[in-house]
Amino acid sequence: MKAALWIAIASVGALATGAIALNRDEPVNSFWLILAAVCIYLIGFRFYSKFIAARVLALDDNRATPAERLRNGYDYEPTNKWIVFGHHFAAIAGPGPLVGPVLAAQFGYLPGTLWILAGGVLGGAVQDFIILFASLRRDGKSLGAMAREEIGKVGGYVALITVLLIMVILLAVVGLVVVNALVGSPWGAFTILATMPVALFMGIYLRFVRPGKVLECSAIGFLLVLLSIFGGQWISLSTYAAAFTFSGITIALAIIAYGFLASALPVWLLLAPRDYLSTFVKLGVVFLLAVGILIVRPELKMPALSRFVDGTGPVFAGKVFPFVFITIACGAISGFHALISSGTTPKMLARETHARYVGYGAMILESFVAIMAMIAACVLQPGVYFAVNSPGAILGKTAEAAVATITAWGYPVTTEQMATLAHRVGEATLFSRTGGAPSLALGMAQIFSATGGGDAVLGFWYHFAIMFEALFILTILDAGTRVGRFMLQDLAGNLYKPFGRVSWMPGVIVSSALVVLGWGYFLVQGVLDPLGGINTLWPLFGIANQLLASIALCVATTILIRMHGAKYCWVTAVPLAWLVTVTFTAGLQKIFSPVPRIGFLAQANLLTGRSAFNARLDAAVTAVFLILVTVILLDSLRVWASILSGANQRQVRESAFVQSQLSAEGL
Amino acid sequence: MTFWRYLRALLRELSDETAYERHLALTGSAHTGAEWKRFSDERHRAKYSRARCC
Repeated sequence: MKAALWIAIASVGALATGAIALNRDEPVNSFWLILAAVCIYLIGFRFYSKFIAARVLALDDNRATPAERLRNGYDYEPTNKWIVFGHHFAAIAGPGPLVGPVLAAQFGYLPGTLWILAGGVLGGAVQDFIILFASLRRDGKSLGAMAREEIGKVGGYVALITVLLIMVILLAVVGLVVVNALVGSPWGAFTILATMPVALFMGIYLRFVRPGKVLECSAIGFLLVLLSIFGGQWISLSTYAAAFTFSGITIALAIIAYGFLASALPVWLLLAPRDYLSTFVKLGVVFLLAVGILIVRPELKMPALSRFVDGTGPVFAGKVFPFVFITIACGAISGFHALISSGTTPKMLARETHARYVGYGAMILESFVAIMAMIAACVLQPGVYFAVNSPGAILGKTAEAAVATITAWGYPVTTEQMATLAHRVGEATLFSRTGGAPSLALGMAQIFSATGGGDAVLGFWYHFAIMFEALFILTILDAGTRVGRFMLQDLAGNLYKPFGRVSWMPGVIVSSALVVLGWGYFLVQGVLDPLGGINTLWPLFGIANQLLASIALCVATTILIRMHGAKYCWVTAVPLAWLVTVTFTAGLQKIFSPVPRIGFLAQANLLTGRSAFNARLDAAVTAVFLILVTVILLDSLRVWASILSGANQRQVRESAFVQSQLSAEGL
Repeated sequence: MTFWRYLRALLRELSDETAYERHLALTGSAHTGAEWKRFSDERHRAKYSRARCC
């Protein structure tokens, strides 16, 4: 009976995948995408993750986890597996799985969707699961600590420096997403500005008025944020609109100043209350989007494959291989997840077998979020999608020129259509709103408004989606700046002791300023880039993130080789080989391609002054990423060869076995 | 665990309210503003020194 059920799921999955893959020229209903995804996830979870859990990792519930052995009531605490699942998912879900698929939709819905499904099930979920397991067996150690132990000191330091560099690029690119979403939008700018005093109010409320009442305080904060969306609408229609209409560079400078202040201010005042609020809003919106898509089941207007698979795409340049893999990023596999899987989560797991649900399962859910983002982008008319996501330098200076360019590509759109849409969502224009956030917000707004309210609520939902994206991106910006500051202080503390003290004010100010200047420089560069910045920064971020995943997979492969020799190392070695191939191809193309829109050096040769310097800097940053990962890869190969040849003993570095005393109840 | 019980438990965990209760039980303290301040400062120090996901 069970076998018949799984055969049915596999057949439906194959049918649905066939329907989305083989269909040409006719609109496809998004339900087929959902059906294909759900069947593939079920099969991946039921069979592949079970195989990894039972054969490869040999999870053992008799073995006490760090949460049980080191229980301290704070970070080490055995927790119900579904609670840990929600906690872990909230921690891994960022803007990446939302923005990446939206940008990758320029190739059509098919390439990105196939990579989200295959990469998620065979790569991302495997990485998260095995790193979580490894950390679980090593007292909750971090990825850097495991890299040092398993591969060597060089690997550990390379991992630390890579994380710091990636954070700089990440913060710049997410900052750019916010800038592009708020440029020339008084409604959006007012709403986001209003979240600042709301967060300050929440901080004071939680500290002095009702200490400890986080849920109550977040509920009040949410109501105030909703009010600010209505306030933004009123502002946009009033004479104050001009006062809240900002240029890209003004918003970028404001975000940089904000990043510096938020990093230096006490956490309880601004960062923590907004983090609570953005976590709840994020989970709520993901849930609402899933419900909305299931109710509306919209048709995908984007073709399966667009003409831009040849590399001439206006959103970002480069052929479908390798750039679709770089662009999707976190929706399929993310190096940053390895930091979470070796951070808080292993300290909360009550049983080893829960690692399968949390590590593998949460990544599957994140992959599903990426599928929903792909759907939200592809429900837009392709002409509208390209009008929103293409930079002005490609489309032309006027609305007429823009629609003529896009229509000539084979994706008809009219100025009236764009003007009506902009009016309905309360924006002056929707042309060249690059970065992914506005088109995602448009798609989400169409889905939400189709569940009830129609055009009358389109503007509200559009700005709700913009608020949701900006809210948690800003939280990442200030939390990321703070983490970067700690890392820098940690490194600089080796040279000058007081700098290492996180409460030493001169150290706090200097290190915060350095981190902010680091990502701020790339952010301003992106804002001034005539191609919209995303063309440069998103691939750079994608390459960096996938290279961090390569480091995590190097650690995971080393651990599997220490456990079983060569027998099961393919589980992580195959995704590793694929990632290395893809990221090195993309990285080398970004540096050396003779096409100026792709290759940084070719771009630099065409430019002068600061722009030429920026292009060379981008080439240098990409080269540094590739070199760092080459170092760790060679170091890993050396370790693997020495173990497999028998030159070194196959030593598994796990904590000693302790019998679990926990009862199964409530876990 | 029913869905609503799970949702409530998850929200309380994400909001650190459950962790605060554990802290009170562990230290044998009563809830006061000062105690919350002590707990949340320690909690946030650990939470915001870790890399955030993208």
